[in-house]
Amino acid sequence: MLEIIAETLRATIAVALILAGSLAILIWVRNNTRKLSALRLFIQIAAVAVIFLGLIIGPFGLERWSYLGTAPKDITIGKEILGRPYPDGLTVPTFSCYYASGRTATCVIWQLQSYLFPNYGTSSIYLTTGLERLAIAVGLLVVISVIFGRFLCGWICPFGLYMDLLTRLRKALKIRHWTLSDRVNEGLRQARYLIIAAFLILSFLLGMRAIAGVELISESELGRYLEIPFCQICPAKPLFVLVEGALGFMDVDYMLSQTIGDFALTGWYLTSINIVILGVVTVGSFMIRRLWCRICPLGGLIALFSRFGPFKKISLIKLTKVEEKCTKCGICKRVCPPQVTEVYEDKGGDVTVSSCILCFRCVEMCPYEGCLNVEFAGKPIYKSKNWLNEEE
Amino acid sequence: MASEIEKGTKYIPEMAQTEIDDLNKSIKTASLKVIEDNIERMKKAWKNRPQAMEYFDEISNLFGKRQEEIKQQKTAGKKVVGYSCIFAPIEMILAADAIPVRVGSGWYDTAKLGDRIMPVEICPVIRSTVGAKMVSLSPFLELSDAIVMPLTCDGRTKLSEILADYKPIWHMNPPRVKDDPHTLGMWKQEIMVIKEKIEKLTGNKITRKNLKEAIEKMQQATKAFRRLQDLRKGNPVINGRDAMLVNQTSLWDDVERWTQKVNELCDELEKRVEQKEHSTYPDTPRVMLTGTPMIWPDSWKVPNLIEESNPQGLVVVDEQCSGDRILYDPVGVDEWTMSDMLDAISERYLMACTCPCFTSEHGNEDRINWIIDRIKEYKVDGVIYYVVRGCILYAMEYQRIKRVLDKMNIPVYYLDTEYTREDVGQMKTRVEAFLEMLEARMDI
Repeated sequence: MLEIIAETLRATIAVALILAGSLAILIWVRNNTRKLSALRLFIQIAAVAVIFLGLIIGPFGLERWSYLGTAPKDITIGKEILGRPYPDGLTVPTFSCYYASGRTATCVIWQLQSYLFPNYGTSSIYLTTGLERLAIAVGLLVVISVIFGRFLCGWICPFGLYMDLLTRLRKALKIRHWTLSDRVNEGLRQARYLIIAAFLILSFLLGMRAIAGVELISESELGRYLEIPFCQICPAKPLFVLVEGALGFMDVDYMLSQTIGDFALTGWYLTSINIVILGVVTVGSFMIRRLWCRICPLGGLIALFSRFGPFKKISLIKLTKVEEKCTKCGICKRVCPPQVTEVYEDKGGDVTVSSCILCFRCVEMCPYEGCLNVEFAGKPIYKSKNWLNEEE
Repeated sequence: MASEIEKGTKYIPEMAQTEIDDLNKSIKTASLKVIEDNIERMKKAWKNRPQAMEYFDEISNLFGKRQEEIKQQKTAGKKVVGYSCIFAPIEMILAADAIPVRVGSGWYDTAKLGDRIMPVEICPVIRSTVGAKMVSLSPFLELSDAIVMPLTCDGRTKLSEILADYKPIWHMNPPRVKDDPHTLGMWKQEIMVIKEKIEKLTGNKITRKNLKEAIEKMQQATKAFRRLQDLRKGNPVINGRDAMLVNQTSLWDDVERWTQKVNELCDELEKRVEQKEHSTYPDTPRVMLTGTPMIWPDSWKVPNLIEESNPQGLVVVDEQCSGDRILYDPVGVDEWTMSDMLDAISERYLMACTCPCFTSEHGNEDRINWIIDRIKEYKVDGVIYYVVRGCILYAMEYQRIKRVLDKMNIPVYYLDTEYTREDVGQMKTRVEAFLEMLEARMDI
């Protein structure tokens, strides 16, 4: 009986969410003027709800804080699509953290690191081989990058939402943001690729455990933990774990018990480096808009497969500029959260760049009709317009 | 030595008060006649002129209602801040609860007076302003408590010196290159200096709250202005002269009232679009004006000529700091903090401006792009490049713009003139020939 009531309640919540979402989109389409930021916030929240849907729609008979990898959707998606369990969830290039429970998709960075080493996932729940999983992860990464590009960063990524909420809090407190100099910004932009290279090489080497008979790391718990180097410094991991712990979705005692002996303060769920980085990024992105996005290796990965070489030509989502309509008023440059300057500097045509998170704040704020345009597969889907009718 | 300079004579020679009064009276009478005549002609050319235009006819009288209003507000304690050019940050003046008025001068008669002390090579806008000061003609110049003087060209630089004998002059140095990040920094400093000066003069602090209000007021004005401009894109429902007058009255009218009246006008015009009630024939050649500012009332001779000649032309858009450039660009604020608002204001007044006083490694491309975009948006058939003698920045840019327009296959006509009514006859022939050519091209 209780079961039925709970299921009905969940279904009602899900239907209500869908209805609210469609209503919001309808309202926005009708007075499609300056509400893009509001729409984006809504989609970000909806995306977080979908990514952590396992927490909302219930654990399907599994224990609420059961062990990693048993998030319910992972199993069902794997069964439905692949015909066999795919317990790590489908790859999505956003910070849908592996360590938090209830996720329906998993961050591609964790997957790349895990699947790179040959010994991983030999237990019975893995019916796919490491190579297969790696192919699925990379394939999905490429396909999603080509279709959406860094749109995911601006509109889907839960960590992006966290930074945007910090920005909104700062705005509410009437504090002016800080800006980084173009040189520092450029440095951060380049650093992304170094980080990608570093964590891929490290996890590959450490995953091999031994080279020419010399043992690199032992088969211990600590070893397993070091095989996934990036996640141990990623600021998103402690955020989601702590939020879920605070909300009661994860058992705090269990979380803390999963520490690795040698490092008193480090553990599977939280490492001290993690928490320090999260603290720095939190304070930093309170003052500097979208600070992490400027150095985010995940964003770098998406950019690699959407903004360079052959991918640039086939990537579907584009930001274009009509040179004649531009008076170089500089608004696009000033309002850009990750401080992209190319949209302002470039002459016209395709102005999408690798550091652009496609949040379309510049399109929203550009006061010249049709100067900045968002194109999807060659078709304009959103244009800059005279936004004077609305105000925040 | 310094004391000698201090005691030294002013630029403008002392004139007997009786002479000043006589000249003032005669020029004022003549000017009132010109204003009346211009309005008469506008009414004649547009049979069913909308009701809402009456307000603008009234406010266009420089010596009328608005002058009295400002006088009254001044006795009530408000300050008046004049400005010579659209580089001056109006939002700041409004935020400090002062009255912004533009003090440029369009009187042909005073230009002749100005010749007495200014060399004739100098642009007549400057000479005319000097002449107006000599006889205390310009009501807004006389009422100003201080004048913001952006030094955009040589004429204005020296004009500021002349006016400095009578009023506090607040100079602003617009950088000549606007693309460079450090020049924007320089300009922000200029804006900050002006902010302090306005605060000191009015005694009102410019706060986050009142600056936000002022920005929103101006944004509403821009919105109304753009509404009117959009109506000029289709078949003619308003004559060019009338729209130009509406735009220009914003320079001295109360912003909020102006916005409201423009919206009323637009309401009326929008009905006419539905009813297809055109102000002239829809196939009239569509002309764009660019170049030197055309200042009410005397400079109306050019739009008068264009719209009254045979064949008739219709001014659909202009690229002048006395017209469509006044309110086109809004101040775009990202976060409503003081520093972001100040950044937004400085960017709007520097970066969005397409004055020919700017240059860059690609030339003044922003202005050219502006013109190209307008030609496409407003379906312009031909461009009249209006330059008064001595306006060298506009004159020098002509060649490049002509080349660009030649490539676009848009005829452009260089109309050079003076602050004089004597050349109207021969100008008429020139303009008519140009319009005839436009019409012939349209037939093909």
